[in-house]
Amino acid sequence: MLQKKICMLGGFSVGKTSLVRRFVKSIFSETYLTTVGVKIDKKSVALPDKTVDLILWDLAGEDDIGSFRVSHVRGATGLVLVVDGTRAATLTAALTLRERVEAEFGAMPFVLLFNKSDLADRWVIPDREIDELRQRGWQVYLTSALSGEHVDDAFLKLASMVTK
Amino acid sequence: METLRQLLVSREISELSRVTHLLDEPEQLAAAVGDILPSAAARAPHAQLGEALAPAVERAVQRSIQKSPRTLTDILYPVFLPAIRKSIGEKIDQTFQSLNETLRHIFTWHGLKWRFESWRTGASFSEVVLKHSLVYRIEHAFLIHRNSGLLIAHVTADNATSEDPQLISSMLSAIQDFVKDSFNEKEQSGLDTIRFGDLRLWSEVGPFATLVSVIRGNPPEGLHEIVRDVLLRIHEESSQALEQFDGDGSQLASVEAQLQTCVELKQEESNEGFPWLVAVVALLLLSLAGGWYFLSWQSAQRWQAYVSRWQAYVSRLEAQPGIIVAEQQARDGQFYIAGLRDPLAADPQSLLSGTEVDPAQVHSQWQFYQSLEPEFVLKRLKASLAPPDSVRLSIDNERIVAEGEAPDTWIDRARAAARQLSAGGPEFDISKVRDVSPEVLEAKRWQAYVSRLEAQPGIIVAQQKIRDGQFYIAGLRDPLADDPQSLLSGTQVDPARVHSQWQFYQSLEPEFVLKRLTASLYPPDTVRLSIVNDRIIAEGEAPDTWIDRARAAARQLSAGGPEFDISKVRDVSPEARAAEHWQYYVSRLEAQPGIVVAQQSARGGHFYISGLRDPLAADPQALLSGTEVDPARVHSQWQFYQSLDPKFVVKRLTASLTPPKSVRLSIIQGRIVVVGEAPAAWINRAQAAAEQLSADGVVLDVSQLRELDLAELNHLREAIQTTDIFFSSGKVVPGPEQTPVLDRLADQIKEFAQSARKSGVTARFMLTGHSDTTGRETANASISAARAETVRALLKKRGVAPELLLVRGAGTFEPAVPENSQAGSSTNRRVSVTVNLD
Ligand SMILES: Nc1nc2c(ncn2[C@@H]2O[C@H](COP(=O)(O)OP(=O)(O)O)[C@@H](O)[C@H]2O)c(=O)[nH]1
Ligand SMILES: [Mg+2]
Repeated sequence: MLQKKICMLGGFSVGKTSLVRRFVKSIFSETYLTTVGVKIDKKSVALPDKTVDLILWDLAGEDDIGSFRVSHVRGATGLVLVVDGTRAATLTAALTLRERVEAEFGAMPFVLLFNKSDLADRWVIPDREIDELRQRGWQVYLTSALSGEHVDDAFLKLASMVTK
Repeated sequence: METLRQLLVSREISELSRVTHLLDEPEQLAAAVGDILPSAAARAPHAQLGEALAPAVERAVQRSIQKSPRTLTDILYPVFLPAIRKSIGEKIDQTFQSLNETLRHIFTWHGLKWRFESWRTGASFSEVVLKHSLVYRIEHAFLIHRNSGLLIAHVTADNATSEDPQLISSMLSAIQDFVKDSFNEKEQSGLDTIRFGDLRLWSEVGPFATLVSVIRGNPPEGLHEIVRDVLLRIHEESSQALEQFDGDGSQLASVEAQLQTCVELKQEESNEGFPWLVAVVALLLLSLAGGWYFLSWQSAQRWQAYVSRWQAYVSRLEAQPGIIVAEQQARDGQFYIAGLRDPLAADPQSLLSGTEVDPAQVHSQWQFYQSLEPEFVLKRLKASLAPPDSVRLSIDNERIVAEGEAPDTWIDRARAAARQLSAGGPEFDISKVRDVSPEVLEAKRWQAYVSRLEAQPGIIVAQQKIRDGQFYIAGLRDPLADDPQSLLSGTQVDPARVHSQWQFYQSLEPEFVLKRLTASLYPPDTVRLSIVNDRIIAEGEAPDTWIDRARAAARQLSAGGPEFDISKVRDVSPEARAAEHWQYYVSRLEAQPGIVVAQQSARGGHFYISGLRDPLAADPQALLSGTEVDPARVHSQWQFYQSLDPKFVVKRLTASLTPPKSVRLSIIQGRIVVVGEAPAAWINRAQAAAEQLSADGVVLDVSQLRELDLAELNHLREAIQTTDIFFSSGKVVPGPEQTPVLDRLADQIKEFAQSARKSGVTARFMLTGHSDTTGRETANASISAARAETVRALLKKRGVAPELLLVRGAGTFEPAVPENSQAGSSTNRRVSVTVNLD
């Protein structure tokens, strides 16, 4: 049994919960999110050479990143940074969260998701900016929790990154 | 040699002597080692350094404690305090629980067995008791990585189920974080117990892993210790693997075996009853202790204090209802009391408690008696009469009052009790208890049923009675009335005990007559029957056959039944209806403008009509549709005529005069008024028509017509009419020099035609061909016509609408100039154009 703790990070309403819901069928009710501030789901991912259980921690998003409970990330091996492609400010939010986590627990593998790709008409992130992030060697995906586009790809990539 | 040596190694020698000096001088050595000590320690292998330093550190700590225990205590205080606090709390719980358990078991058979077991195993007796007496079971044990919340291992007892243990593991650690954050719990211990009804989650926190056990039932506190031991052992065995755990559990397979020992912990229900023996012995011990306590007390306290307490007790007794103190005395350190007490009064003995009077010194003699105070009487009555729930007993002004409902047997008993009480006791008033004995109830219900029947229309109750618990009823009922049997439901009368005899009859109550009429006459949908003031009234339409049947029924009813009034039903037999439709059609025709109905009649199912119609009026045949008159049975004879109705006159004028678009015809107060602009020719025609119509008495007012203003066209017309196309002698096709003339002419004609059309006038152009006088007359005539045709074709080729072009040949008869010269004849060989407007 190989397990890895993964945290969903991102601003308010960027689609973290929706992405997890799209990727895995939950057994815990989403009220945990509001009561305990975190909801945990599990998904077994089959990689070519092994199977890994991703334990996904979805943290209750608040607009105010200041109230983010960094302690939830302790012991995590990977991050899913989620940005809402229709709100430019959420990119800054995601990057700030990652910096805080790294300052506390050191660098760890992550994938960067520009979510809500189905809302093309309201998209505000220029391609140039995405290319630039890719050039840093980052794993960037344009996802849609609505259509499911690239959601599995992103999680799969992260699974292989955290088991390296 | 020495010199050589000096030469070769003098430098090394001086160095060596410096080092020797350094080693010999402690001061200097200390300074040197001090310089490198921190970095040396950092570079030493950790294990070895630890080993090397351990004895020294231990001794140092020992020395420090001997010298001044405070220093170290102060340092460790924040670390120890929480641990100690927790440990003491648990110890207390543990002691209590084991004491309870021990007490329960000392004197039972199991107790002996367990004593033996404790002796045999060397465990303390209470431990053995604990093991056997608490009912619980550890159902799950989770070993959770402290850092990440990931599950290291999970073991389940038989038959226990849970959701995905990996998820539970993470969720538990998240909840622990949550509690820690929420309540600002800074202690390391975390959340150690969660309870959900029968389930408890215990968590023991170790340095790297937390052991969570899920326990069903009542675990003894001592179980904490056992679980903690398991966790300790796991840490001892696998501390390195635990520390480096990164989600891969393969290194920690051995942990499961340890956890397994946890879930094997359980205690099944024992069948022991309440330990009576224990209770007795405990009581014994208590009273012994009490005696001893009293003796020592007595020697220490003053007798007087006792007496005053005694007096307080006595007056308390005297205040009790149902207790009468006859005698009381305090003598030789003993108390004596005698009197009467009602068995229902408070127990004098129990009243002692709380008075600090020692029961052992009290000697009482109580005689039972029955108090007549109302509250005691009430209690006794309640006990002896056992009133049903429907009766309420209460005290009102020293009287006992019973209210509610009861069967007669109970009322009889209550009455007897009341009689007894009347001899000195309080009054017992039972007048407010209603008799609800079964027979009375049943009779009431039966009466309710009977009056329900009597209220029913169509039911006449002739006789009814109750005998031997059976109910008899007889009477008349209309077949259309409600069924007496079904009316029983809801009355609580037992149908099996009801014997009915019903005779059918026809009720003459209007509603029944109505029902019967509805069933027998079967009125058509167009007839509505209703009851007004006890009369039955039929309204609507029906064929004569139905009306006849209704009339017969009305005659029958007149012999005693309600009146049946059918006067409001209209006869709608098919012929009558067809005639109505026909009349409707005729009136529709008569209302049509342009149609004059002269005669019409209906005969033998056929309809005949004759009259005049304007060709422009609506078609009488078409008007038939929607009238429900059968066209096959209509025979019409129409004579055409011209209606002088202004509307028709306007239609005709519009057709015959074709007024230009700029003219509007309208009818104003029966007069036809023509307004607008028109060419003079059209105005002339309109005036002629007006004259004609005036003979028929129709006014056509053309006074408001204005002549069309063709000023701008006149110029163009002039230009067109002065244009000639010339030809060479004997030729019918104009020479090429005429092409520009033709082009211009075509343009002008087109422009003129278009402008004229805009004014609502049609322009036509007459092309007249001419010849010179040379040659024969007939040839000249045909040449002139051919010239006109040619020009028409040439103009048509240039886009002029051919229907606007008229052609004629004038031969030599309309010369432009007198034909006496060469030039004259060439001027005459031409085609001229004239413009007509209409
Ligand atoms: N159109 C669209 N809407 C999305 C997508 N992902 C999330 N949403 C919506 O965005 C809102 C916030 O999503 P949620 O998952 O609660 O965001 P969270 O606060 O980051 O967990 C919800 O109304 C979602 O339905 C997506 O990919 N496309
Ligand atoms: Mg969410």
